[in-house]
Amino acid sequence: MRSLVSFLLLALVAAVNALSASGGNRLLVILEDVAEKAGYTKFLGDLEGRGFDISYETPKSESLSLFHLGERSYDHVLLFPTKAKGWFLSDTFVPYPTCLGPNLTPSIILQFINAEGNILLALSGSTPVPSSLVSALLEFDIHIPTDRQGLVVDHFNYDAASASEKHDVLLLPTPGPLRPDYKNFFGLSASGKSGVIAFPNGLGQTLGQGALLSPILRAPAASYSYNPKEESEALEDLFAAGSQLSLVSTLQARNSARVTVVGSADMLSDKWFDASVKKVGEKTSVKTLNREFARAVSGWTFGEIGVLRVNWIEHHLNEAGQSNASNPKIYRIKNDVTYSISLSEYSWDKYIPFTVPENDELQLEFSMLSPFHRLKLNPTISSEDSTTYSVSFKLPDQHGIFNFLVNYKRPFLSNVFEKNTVSVRHFAHNEWPRSFVISGAWPWIAGIAATVTGWLGFCALWLYSAPPAKGESKKKQ
Amino acid sequence: MYLCDVLQHPIVASSHSPLTMAVDQGASSKLPGLLVSLGKNESTKTLLKVIILAIIAAAAVASRLFSVILDPWFNFRATKYLVANGFYQFWDWFDDRTWHPLGRVTGGTLYPGLMVTSGVIYHLLRFLTVPVDIRNICVLLAPAFSGLTAYAAYLLTNEMTTSSSAGLLAAAFMGITPGYISRSVAGSYDNEAIAIFLLVFTFFLWIKALKLGSMLWGALCALFYGYMVASWGGYAFITCLVPLHVFVLICMGRFSMRLYVAYTTWYALGTLASMQIPFVGFLPVRTSEHMPALGIFGFIQLVAFLEYVRSAVSSRQFQTFMYVGLGGIFSVGLLGLVGLTAGGYIAPWSGRFYSLWDTGYAKIHIPIIASVSEHQPTAWPAFFFDLNMLIWLFPAGVYMCFQKLEDEHVFIIVYALFGSYFAGVMVRLMLTLTPVVCVAAAIAASQLLDTYLQYKSPEPIESKDEESSDVTAKKASKQSSLRSASQPVVGIYNVLSKAFIAGTMTLFLLIFVQHCTWVTSNAYSSPSVVLASRMPDGSQHIIDDYREAYQWLRQNTKEDAKIMSWWDYGYQIGGMADRPTLVDNNTWNNTHIATVGKAMSSREEVAYPIMRQHEVDYVLVVFGGLLGYSGDDINKFLWMVRIAEGIWPDEVKERDFFTPRGEYKVDADASETMKNSLMYKMSYHNYASLFPPGQAQDRVRGVRLPDQSPILNSLEEAYTSENWIIRIYKVKDLDNVGRDHAAAASFERGHKKKKAIKKRGPRVLRAE
Repeated sequence: MRSLVSFLLLALVAAVNALSASGGNRLLVILEDVAEKAGYTKFLGDLEGRGFDISYETPKSESLSLFHLGERSYDHVLLFPTKAKGWFLSDTFVPYPTCLGPNLTPSIILQFINAEGNILLALSGSTPVPSSLVSALLEFDIHIPTDRQGLVVDHFNYDAASASEKHDVLLLPTPGPLRPDYKNFFGLSASGKSGVIAFPNGLGQTLGQGALLSPILRAPAASYSYNPKEESEALEDLFAAGSQLSLVSTLQARNSARVTVVGSADMLSDKWFDASVKKVGEKTSVKTLNREFARAVSGWTFGEIGVLRVNWIEHHLNEAGQSNASNPKIYRIKNDVTYSISLSEYSWDKYIPFTVPENDELQLEFSMLSPFHRLKLNPTISSEDSTTYSVSFKLPDQHGIFNFLVNYKRPFLSNVFEKNTVSVRHFAHNEWPRSFVISGAWPWIAGIAATVTGWLGFCALWLYSAPPAKGESKKKQ
Repeated sequence: MYLCDVLQHPIVASSHSPLTMAVDQGASSKLPGLLVSLGKNESTKTLLKVIILAIIAAAAVASRLFSVILDPWFNFRATKYLVANGFYQFWDWFDDRTWHPLGRVTGGTLYPGLMVTSGVIYHLLRFLTVPVDIRNICVLLAPAFSGLTAYAAYLLTNEMTTSSSAGLLAAAFMGITPGYISRSVAGSYDNEAIAIFLLVFTFFLWIKALKLGSMLWGALCALFYGYMVASWGGYAFITCLVPLHVFVLICMGRFSMRLYVAYTTWYALGTLASMQIPFVGFLPVRTSEHMPALGIFGFIQLVAFLEYVRSAVSSRQFQTFMYVGLGGIFSVGLLGLVGLTAGGYIAPWSGRFYSLWDTGYAKIHIPIIASVSEHQPTAWPAFFFDLNMLIWLFPAGVYMCFQKLEDEHVFIIVYALFGSYFAGVMVRLMLTLTPVVCVAAAIAASQLLDTYLQYKSPEPIESKDEESSDVTAKKASKQSSLRSASQPVVGIYNVLSKAFIAGTMTLFLLIFVQHCTWVTSNAYSSPSVVLASRMPDGSQHIIDDYREAYQWLRQNTKEDAKIMSWWDYGYQIGGMADRPTLVDNNTWNNTHIATVGKAMSSREEVAYPIMRQHEVDYVLVVFGGLLGYSGDDINKFLWMVRIAEGIWPDEVKERDFFTPRGEYKVDADASETMKNSLMYKMSYHNYASLFPPGQAQDRVRGVRLPDQSPILNSLEEAYTSENWIIRIYKVKDLDNVGRDHAAAASFERGHKKKKAIKKRGPRVLRAE
């Protein structure tokens, strides 16, 4: 009965988690001017169509506040480039760069991420990045060109139709997976369309070495970034070039909060959704895939794809003749145990079974200070919304406080870090084999038996032997 | 849960009186009046003895009740576990709340005697329908056993001398001598609480077995030896002392069948009994500490065999046989021992043992042993402090033993010799010396009292003796000095001298009682967790930071939050705060302790991964700088460094913690390593802000501190107790967006990250 209740409770908790795992639907869009949203109707309309409840604010608005009474007021923030003038003045007077106003300081942005809020940041090549954003991005180890401004151009790979002069509309193929063993959420293969992604008027970023950062879209080999404000003919100090330049980059924080920096806000605008472009040197013009790409990027950022859920974890003793209760607190060394974990992946509107990408493994560590076992978890049961992975193994011959640890952290998938602590005790005094079972002990047992019988026999002989008659003994002497 | 009921004994005076009474009675039992009127028949004497012993036991218990605080907590915890889960569960107990994450096989690594004793008493009282809490048994166990120790001392002394006053005096001394009280006040629930009784009683049984040559007494002795092994690691003292006694006796040519029977019975049964304790296991046949007993066991067989051969063959043949046989066996035995030790079958002498011979050994090779104050060599005043007048009666008593020199007196001499040596080497072993001091001193004191408290002078016999001795002396050498001595001006039988000596002795005894009471109430009854100090107006001020902090941990942290602290506080945290610890007072794993030492003495960047690997949630340090409490972690810090250096000599170096001039400093001149160490940072974090600028002061070290307090990045202050004695820090999680802690902390403090990347050096490219 109790287990049933707890199961129901668990299911309830899981259901509640399911709603929030997909990230909630309160989306705040920050624009320089609310009227600007007219330029992004398709994009915002798509978002609304996916169920987001959008509020619009400007940075200068008094009512703009990401937190209310210590709780997040919004689940997601979408920040379009702001062209705030006069921020130089305020910058000199207050310690923090407040070009985005006092409600969007770097520390508030970090606080928002620490509170598991997601941020989608759209930048532009023609607008300087507000310095508070630059500071925040620096904390993430995402670097923006000096002077907060830069434009990515590629003289070999531009849209001949719209940017024949400036070469600043890059045409890019859909990105492949970052590494062969990663899941590719942005390949757009599902949409079935072929085409290119247009990246007009964009600002490139470079990423630090952190493992939390990963680029979605990298610049082609011949592209580079320069500052259009600089008048000089030749580029003196190159910010970055080629694939080091990231056009759309992401940070997934340890708490799985997501930050995406889209280098070009224009690529999200109505103008470039379903536009026709013609790559330089090619005859035919093709449709852009910006709409699909924007959907994937925003969907990932706002937790609609790539979110993993641990439904339950179970481990039990796997030995005949013993009680195999679930999740015991204590095991014995050399016990056979089975560990199972059930995983689901959220995909747009529902949970689907999570399948580990090819070439990748979901692993279980059984560790105390360092792993004693690192085992591959194999899919065993698959239901319509979850896959159960499990593995059976023998516990090591070492007592201590161990962790069943699943530490599955991959780019673009939310972090799975599940630690279940169990104690592994030593053999109890009555769990050893008895001496008569061990063949090596038989000589000793025989020795003991011989001694005991010999002693008893001697005593009996001694007690029941009559003392020799006196006469005889005298004779002998 | 915390036991704070300080059983304040009704002032010093009232506990004073029973003591005085006891000793006075002990002394006055020989007083003429009493003797004349009461001591005529045996039954009255017996009754008197029983009453006196009962009073002594009562005094022994009473003098241990000044203040009560339960310590060490581990034993109490273990006893609770035993009572709650039964013996077999206790036997197989795996404790996952200490030594995280190693855990401790507690059932197999402790001496269960103490807990089992309490458990048995508990169940017995329950059976008798006495509703009693196990806690009360634990608190009062040590005083109760001190009463029994007094009785055991009485028995042992009675074996040494025919004078029954010696036994009573020994019992009284044993009951109140501070050397023993120090480890047996109420609430001091440590192994020594019962071990000293067992030690003395085992010795008594050994003497009894030896005197009677009785297998029964030998078996009893082995039984109590087994109990002793189950109770205290100090059993090795018996294991070495008894064979030594046998060896000395054999060397004195006193081999007898009594000795043979007593020793072989004791050794065979005692060793078997000791091997039943899981913690001891096969040690008796594998470690060097136990080899003397085994060696003497073999030796006594040889000697017995030789005796037999001597009685069977002619003396000439016997001589050859003896030289060849003995030489051969001895060399084979020695070679075997060396070979087995070299081959690793017999463990070499343990470090603790070496430190008994060379007091400097531990400091160099095993700092963990040297770091315990109990393991320091004893200071001279400590002997007087703990034993008072007994210390000068003691040699006299030993001298008395030389005069009689029966087998049992040889034992006292051997014991006295080794006990004194070991007590000089290690403060803690004062405890094993105390019984023999009491016995020897009682023999000496009773000799004095017996001589001088004789009301009637036994003139005729004595003069006859003197005459006869005079005659013999004349015959022998005609020494005039003897004649002058035989006609003293002030003789022994003079009433004046009797009164003077008796008065002096009474005075000494009174001073002894007064000293014992004073020492007990002042030095040995102040619990270590609650500090008492005097305010300027003389009123008592209680500093209760420890309990305050442990209570905070108990109420504000997760049930399984792991606390890292130096091992001194492990048992207290485990008991009072009920939180898992990394290391505790059961210092079984030196490497684990060294790991904690390394974390404490390293830079934050080094310490953080260690703490993370060990899943540390909170770090607790003791800091006495504000209050002038000298037992704090900064003063213990060098031991942490040394212990860590023992394992990681390349990473932690003691020299780096000293200034270039070789001073251990904490002020502005402190070395960089010192200033960057986690311990230093945790101790002085925010400390300067407590003072006006330029006046920050450390009252323990007596130095002025720099105005800028050290900055902590990977830890945050969680709690600081009222007097700053306990400071608790929370270990921060990894930064959410992947920065290092220094960067994250600097951002928190409002510093803008410098944009400065590159310019110099090649670009760092991102690989993927």
